[in-house]
Amino acid sequence: MKRFATLFATASLALGLTAEPAAVLFTAAAFTKAQRNSSIPTDAGIFVRLPDAGWVPYGPKIQQVASASVDPSDSSRIFLACGNGIVRSTDSGKTWRMVTGWRESDITAIVIDPTDGQRIYASSGWGLIRSFDGGDSWTSIDTGLTEKFSRTIVMDDANPSRLLAGTAGGLFVTTNHGDTWAQVKGVPSAHVLRLRRGIDQPNVWLAVTEGQGAWLSTDDGASWRLTAPDVASANLYACAVDPHDANNLAVGGWDVGVVTSNDGGATWQNRAAGLPSPNVLTLVYDPHHAGRVWAASFEEGIVFSDDAGATWQDGGLDGSLTNDLGFLPLEPIAR
Amino acid sequence: MIAPSNFRAARWPLITSFVFALQAFAATPPVAPLTDGEMAATYQERREAFIAGYIDRTDPTNLERGGLHDVAVNLARGTNLEWARARLRALCESPRGAMFWMFPMVLVMEAGEENLTADDWSVIREAWKTYFPYRGDTENHWLMYYASLYLAAEVWPDLPGSEWYNGKSSVENRAEAKEYLLESIRITTAYGRGEYDSPNYIDPYVSALTLLVGWSQDEELRLQAEMMLEIDLADFAVENIGGVYGGAHSRIYPKHAIQPALAASTSLAWLLWGQGEMQLNGSALIVALSGYTPPAILQRIATDRSKSYVHRELKRTRWRMRHAGPESIEMANHRTIPVYKYSYMTPDYMVGSTQGGLLQPIQQQTWSLNWHEEKPLGIASTFFALHPYYSALEGTMYFGADWDTVVDLIARSKVDYNSPDKLMSGSPHEQVFQHKATVIGLYDIPPGTTFPNLNTFFSRDLINRTEDPSGWIFAQGGSTYIAYRPFVAGEWRPTDWTGLLAGGAGAWISSGHAEWGAGHQVYVSESPTNGYVAQFAAEHEFESFDAFMAAVKALPLEFKLEPTAHVKFTTLDGTELEGTYGETPHIGGQPIAYDTWPLYEGPFMNGNRGENVLELQHGHETRRFDFNSTQISTTVTPTAR
Repeated sequence: MKRFATLFATASLALGLTAEPAAVLFTAAAFTKAQRNSSIPTDAGIFVRLPDAGWVPYGPKIQQVASASVDPSDSSRIFLACGNGIVRSTDSGKTWRMVTGWRESDITAIVIDPTDGQRIYASSGWGLIRSFDGGDSWTSIDTGLTEKFSRTIVMDDANPSRLLAGTAGGLFVTTNHGDTWAQVKGVPSAHVLRLRRGIDQPNVWLAVTEGQGAWLSTDDGASWRLTAPDVASANLYACAVDPHDANNLAVGGWDVGVVTSNDGGATWQNRAAGLPSPNVLTLVYDPHHAGRVWAASFEEGIVFSDDAGATWQDGGLDGSLTNDLGFLPLEPIAR
Repeated sequence: MIAPSNFRAARWPLITSFVFALQAFAATPPVAPLTDGEMAATYQERREAFIAGYIDRTDPTNLERGGLHDVAVNLARGTNLEWARARLRALCESPRGAMFWMFPMVLVMEAGEENLTADDWSVIREAWKTYFPYRGDTENHWLMYYASLYLAAEVWPDLPGSEWYNGKSSVENRAEAKEYLLESIRITTAYGRGEYDSPNYIDPYVSALTLLVGWSQDEELRLQAEMMLEIDLADFAVENIGGVYGGAHSRIYPKHAIQPALAASTSLAWLLWGQGEMQLNGSALIVALSGYTPPAILQRIATDRSKSYVHRELKRTRWRMRHAGPESIEMANHRTIPVYKYSYMTPDYMVGSTQGGLLQPIQQQTWSLNWHEEKPLGIASTFFALHPYYSALEGTMYFGADWDTVVDLIARSKVDYNSPDKLMSGSPHEQVFQHKATVIGLYDIPPGTTFPNLNTFFSRDLINRTEDPSGWIFAQGGSTYIAYRPFVAGEWRPTDWTGLLAGGAGAWISSGHAEWGAGHQVYVSESPTNGYVAQFAAEHEFESFDAFMAAVKALPLEFKLEPTAHVKFTTLDGTELEGTYGETPHIGGQPIAYDTWPLYEGPFMNGNRGENVLELQHGHETRRFDFNSTQISTTVTPTAR
């Protein structure tokens, strides 16, 4: 199978170039709003948004799911980042298998080498792990980290031996497939909560932190500068880079809503007005609709904007806590 | 349908070596006159009564009520079978509760096997194939999950991954589960439990281990589980006062903090050792159905309070995800810090403590006094103080949730977590130390901390409560005298001063509050720096309560609150205790040696850190657990001539 360079390549192909499934909006969510006198959400798992059916559950119903990934080179290979570990399908979601053991848990994000689908990396509450055999076995790759807790990891698709991971101790980079990690200078040693990268402009990286601001690199991570200064003291859980125009940036967080920039971070506009809640946990630009950005708030639903956040429209899923929001080529299969 | 395995391996004999000396049987313990055989016989009587109690509570006309434990016991005894099958189907239709569904389901499969039909097995099999249970976020969750998965995979030993919810074959599931279970036992017997000594959460540990003891076909795993079960039970036995699990606890609920005999541990104490009164409880039912008979030495240890003693234990915190701190240590790729437990046991009371700090999320009880009651049900036989603290720091230390949501999400189930009148809490601003019957707490609470107050619980069952002009507050619980000296005067409030505990907060928090929660008071003291001395004594040690008060008031006590809390106090036994918040306390002029704190040290239970070898002693009997070689050996030494 032909290999592609970006996570969204399959989505692009799905728009007309091949028969690959179209990338659809997905979220890893737990319905916590109606949770009373219980530690168990009323529903949870992966949900995908279909144009004609709204949000529908996808894959196995699992209480704690943080994210999902699809092999860029083989969209039948799907990975779920779960509290239990990593759950994999190799048949487009028809069947699933938990591929990690008891040593791996609280997985937060998964990235797959677009040039070699056997090389898979994941962040977790207990450190970073990798597999070189497609997910059949996993090893810890924490050398050099000052804190193991990590909830975001991004691969440099052009150089898959290079990955960046946000940890509770700052942003770290490896250039040797995770054998060793070094702290990224220029980003504070704070908890990096989300890391995103441009697609058409891959030199653009955006990282957001717990109370230490949003940090932007436009030279592929060589240097970083504080951006979105008005929300620098907030806990910033969400960030997004427009895959087709990296001048469009969005940052979201607790009690600050969303701020957006359309000039590569030079200026920022507060886009909290119209949001169902000022507490934003996830953001993503829509690869199918130029300029559309999706935002998910804590338990108050998902919204989207076609005017860079000037106005927001209801996107459903009220009552959910979203751990991730993104686009993946997932074909819904009834649970 | 895939039939369950017909194979039920013959129970492997316990690898137990008995070294009897000629006069061994002359060594009858002085305070437990029953012989081993008599103990076993009375245990069997209680076991039958317990099982009968469960069956008696079954209402076969009500198909809406009854859990898997109830289903299991009826299937095991062949009673109410039509009802049991109906409930089984209802509880398999849309399973929920993850490991809390898994382990009683395994009990149904194992204990109820004789009365399960092929159609019943089909229902059960489908559930294991389709329901994807969460593994959980605590060690008790994991133990239940893996013990259940292991046993289920033994019932169907050769199924492919397509027949299991997680896609792994029976062989793979057994291998993973066994590896985790053995590793869990290894860490626990070397460095202590993470969820240590919980009067409530002893329930899942005993449940999971007993399932393995009762039904695992793997010799090594079954023996390791049996050894671990006995150590957990012994751990309770040595800090047991009349059937109540006393002292410091990793996790406790309000009703158990206030009325300790309501906890699962007391139900176990009745079944295993005949203490207190019978209360139906899930883990005790599993013990009763498993066929396990506890060794007599456990009952002797649990009930022998002929002499006072100090017992020390090393435990650890639950795994810390973040904010582990510079004092943390790593094991199995996880970080934790040591917990230093100290208990003083007497015939009349026990008092136990830990060093303070954030040792557990949400439900920590740093110290408590429990006085002896022959029938403790209905009595709030306890005294304790705490700094009610909550924070996102604590939440994110132990859970993966976000800083801004973690407190809210915790309070969805532990609704009193962010209430100022809560009755259990760890605090990073608390330091506690103890010498025998004396406990000292020191506090340095930064501005803005939630909350600024200390809560000291005064039971409705105390008598002779006296506020002395000297600043001491005196009281009596049972045959135990209490003297409490807060460094900063406070005010009396009802225990439930926010109304939270009484109102609509769910089964764990508020149900039955009028019975267990009403009528108590809390002494609330507010100050950035604060502290107290608590001195206890037995009634028989003094001619009168007045004499006790006079003796305590005469004790040398100095304290100051600036720049931080500092105290110097000489106890009733003449020992000088001195502490400054943030520094190592001194007892008798010597700093407390935390670095050399033993895994277990006391007259009944001993073990060194990191060795995986533990010993129980009572009278002339020694029971040795070598987890390295999976062996129990019992030695009875000759009586001295």
